[in-house]
Amino acid sequence: MPADKAKNAVAVAIHRVSKRFGSVAALDDVSFDIMRGEFFSLLGPSGCGKTTLLRSIGGFEAPTAGDIQIDGQSVLHLAPYARPTNMIFQHLALFPHMNVRDNVAFGLRMKRTDAATTARRVEEALALVRLEGYGDRGIDQISGGQKQRVAMARALVNDPAVLLLDEPLGALDLQLRLQMQVELRRLQRQLGATFVFVTHDQGEAMAMSDRIAVMNSGRIQQIGTPAEIYERPVNRFVATFIGHANLIEGRVAEQRADGTALIDVEGLRVAGTAQALAAPGASMLAVMRYEKLQIEAGGNASVAGTGTSTLATVSEKTYMGAALRFVCRPGVGPTLTVDAPNTEAGRAICEGDSVRVSWAASEINLLAE
Amino acid sequence: MTSPASGKTPKPFPGVRPIGRPFWLLLPGVAWLLVFGLAPILFMGAVSFWRSSIFGTTPDFQFGNYARMIEEPLYVELLVKTLRIAALTTILSLIFSYPLAWFLASRKGAWKAVCVVAVFVPFWISYVVRTFVWLPILGRNGLINQTLMGLGLISSPVEWFLYNEGTVYLGLVYVYTLFMTLPIYLALEKIDPKLIEAATDLGARPWQTFRHVVLPLSWPGVLSGSIMVFLLAVSAYVTPRLLGGTSGIMFGNMIANQFLSNNNWAFGSALSMTLVAVVALFLLVVGRWVGIREVFTGGKG
Ligand SMILES: Nc1ncnc2c1ncn2[C@@H]1O[C@H](COP(=O)(O)OP(=O)(O)OP(=O)(O)O)[C@@H](O)[C@H]1O
Ligand SMILES: [Mg+2]
Repeated sequence: MPADKAKNAVAVAIHRVSKRFGSVAALDDVSFDIMRGEFFSLLGPSGCGKTTLLRSIGGFEAPTAGDIQIDGQSVLHLAPYARPTNMIFQHLALFPHMNVRDNVAFGLRMKRTDAATTARRVEEALALVRLEGYGDRGIDQISGGQKQRVAMARALVNDPAVLLLDEPLGALDLQLRLQMQVELRRLQRQLGATFVFVTHDQGEAMAMSDRIAVMNSGRIQQIGTPAEIYERPVNRFVATFIGHANLIEGRVAEQRADGTALIDVEGLRVAGTAQALAAPGASMLAVMRYEKLQIEAGGNASVAGTGTSTLATVSEKTYMGAALRFVCRPGVGPTLTVDAPNTEAGRAICEGDSVRVSWAASEINLLAE
Repeated sequence: MTSPASGKTPKPFPGVRPIGRPFWLLLPGVAWLLVFGLAPILFMGAVSFWRSSIFGTTPDFQFGNYARMIEEPLYVELLVKTLRIAALTTILSLIFSYPLAWFLASRKGAWKAVCVVAVFVPFWISYVVRTFVWLPILGRNGLINQTLMGLGLISSPVEWFLYNEGTVYLGLVYVYTLFMTLPIYLALEKIDPKLIEAATDLGARPWQTFRHVVLPLSWPGVLSGSIMVFLLAVSAYVTPRLLGGTSGIMFGNMIANQFLSNNNWAFGSALSMTLVAVVALFLLVVGRWVGIREVFTGGKG
């Protein structure tokens, strides 16, 4: 499997790719590299062009402009059957007239691999996805999760340079989905293969990926590790699409030397980390994630002026199991939503109580608008 | 000893019979089969042992009719020829229908509706008319001869366009091919396009995709179409009668002659029974070979 090839090499290079369907721009000047052995996710809302991008790599769509290279070679002139990629389709597309073994053997047989090698590799692939002994089953005689594994084996047996997965877990129920996530990740690590994984489920992308490309309306919004994307979103779209955040617009009151800045929001002062220096008076967006804010009861000793806390009144409390959600109204400025861990102290806070809401400047992102 | 409950399946709801029990629901279907399917054949079987003479047909039990059929080579030869014509008609229809069905199935949107209707509309016309229409086209003074003479390619009308076995093939294929096209079209239509993409993705070239995915998945359609056309062609009567002349005569014409002109019902019945037996045998053999269930149920979806 491709583990023996050099790491740190580019497996897939997407260079300025655009794709139009009539007047719809499904992909708009998309460029990025996927490294060898990487679990790379394409994440975005429905209709943002994820499938189109994946199908362009697999050869099922021809880009209107740009180039796609795999292992340094442009593949645009190659038909899907000649590309070193394999795809796992959303609805799996297993062949109904073949049993499990013949499904898995299909790719090898099309390449006229000799029968002995085919048989051996099919058994290996079935073992890899933990389906030993299922070879003779018909496709309608196995469960949804097993079908999923057959689809994996059918693709992996061909030893593809890149495996393309289009929301392969979309049709599974939650329990099975979580189980398959672990399974997929295990396979990818074990094989050292390059996976390009399409999903619109941010939790799934976070849990599985080495890197994520967040897309919206045919454009790449941000590429980075799950932590980078979550902790340092580069724009409003990424900040809202992933996680829950208070988005608050204000004007720069003070820019400090340590990279933090203070903004003024309707009288409320918020200190945060600016990703670029901003002139005083410029408009900025503070991204305050719900769980990055702390809440404590009472709170009279406000550290006014530092911009890391405010006094407020709880106007709404929601019990969510693992967390407690409070909607708080500060004396001045916009309402702030806080997610606090479900502790005794948190449960004691009731609607109407006076509280202190605080945060660390390093946890608040300030984005230029 | 076992507990009293383990002896029988417990009733989930009192008064509700388990599925499969109310056999009287089958009665209409069974009655239909008996009256329109089995009864005529039994009656014909009986008549085939009777005796026909110029004074009429009288009940009897003798093998004279069957003996005559075996003694005179004419009948066996005609039966073999009829089976050959039916088989070749089936093959020709398949060759013609598969691409047509493929064409229809691969159209999209409104175009598809237009194409499907365009193909099927002529078949709303009586097949007698559709057979008859070949006469003014292929006849001595027909369209083709007129055109060829007008172009100066021939000096006198071509006679062999009509009234031979070739004309019968033309007529039969034209009249019955839709019974082949329709099941193949429906089978192709049912194939998920993603399966074709999956095959391509797994390295199958277009021919391999056809061979290993499209053809096997449309196979039930091919089988039902083939059996349909074969059955229709083997009992053809109008087409060979109108287009076949003397050399294009088929078994069906021979049977009809016994009833209509020779007034020999007993012998006609014997001929019919023989044809029924041969066709049943044929279905049995084909059924063994491909699995008869698949043919009549359209395969597993
Ligand atoms: N064959 C096509 N013809 C016309 N428009 C298309 C075609 N395929 C995709 N589109 C359009 O391109 C855009 C991107 O589609 P795409 O399927 O890539 O979205 P997606 O991100 O995969 O969405 P989803 O999460 O719903 O699968 C959409 O606006 C879609 O309507
Ligand atoms: Mg999609």
